[in-house]
Amino acid sequence: MMVLDWATAAPAVGAAFVASTVEVVEAFTIVLAVATLRGWRPALTGAVAALAVLAVVVASLGPALNLVPLRGLQIVIGVLLLLFGLGWLRKAVLRAAGLMALHDETAIFERERTRIGTEASGARSADWLAGMAAFKAVLLEGLEVVFIVLAVGAGRGLMLPAAAGALAAFVVVMAVGLLIHKPLAKVPENTLKFGVGVMLSSFGVFWTSEGLGAPWPGGDWALLGLVAVFLVAALALVSVVRPRAVEARA
Amino acid sequence: MSVLLEVLEELWSMFVGDRRLTLLTLAVVIAAAVVAALTTAPPIVAAGLLLAGALAVLADSVLAAARKVGRR
Repeated sequence: MMVLDWATAAPAVGAAFVASTVEVVEAFTIVLAVATLRGWRPALTGAVAALAVLAVVVASLGPALNLVPLRGLQIVIGVLLLLFGLGWLRKAVLRAAGLMALHDETAIFERERTRIGTEASGARSADWLAGMAAFKAVLLEGLEVVFIVLAVGAGRGLMLPAAAGALAAFVVVMAVGLLIHKPLAKVPENTLKFGVGVMLSSFGVFWTSEGLGAPWPGGDWALLGLVAVFLVAALALVSVVRPRAVEARA
Repeated sequence: MSVLLEVLEELWSMFVGDRRLTLLTLAVVIAAAVVAALTTAPPIVAAGLLLAGALAVLADSVLAAARKVGRR
């Protein structure tokens, strides 16, 4: 039986859990908006259909990834992670500095309710339209979760621990969401997104370096160092650009 | 069909949301690959170049966005 080294698995599980929490919260907001407008039947039908599509994507991609040489996989995933992570971190820095509006689940919930309500009003296929809104939301956010699981897990054979992290996030968010029956506005999404941007960018540099044949000294422990460097740099950038937001508001 | 297009658009924007950030990131990766493959420098040089480049790209992208807000 394979025994996983916790130092190796923990960053993958943690990154997958935190990143997936953000995505599942966003998907839940739309599904809840649909459910409060048209009932749970179209909301759950759309969500379950999207989960089925995602299962097909994962079942097709998983075996295909085994055919790609490890170094090639590390480069492709590393570069995609860098693009995704730096983009995410850029937005997080701008939000933290006050240069971009904060992500607000309650506002998104109200906006989506209005949009779906307008689209569905008078339409004979109102439930179909509402179900499609839930389908799209779960599919789009779910694809991001699939990418994150692949990205943090595939380079080291940690797909299962990363998938377990994502599944745990899904279970926790759904359980809390269904219990309180409101958008999960109290989840500190902006802080989580900042952390996820830092982690994804760090994984991106780590995997790309490994793929290029230029591994970091210290092996997997170097990830912690990369996380620290990205975190300090991102916080420094926040303090540099924050005055611009103050000037813009003045 | 429109759902498929929306999904593809969303996937595209996941990685190419900011064209300048994307192009600069790819340039940094290519530079690190050249150093790793074509020079006799120790591996840490290519890895360090990748990290420094990624941080520079992030700073450039954030500062550019801040300047844009300042001009409004």
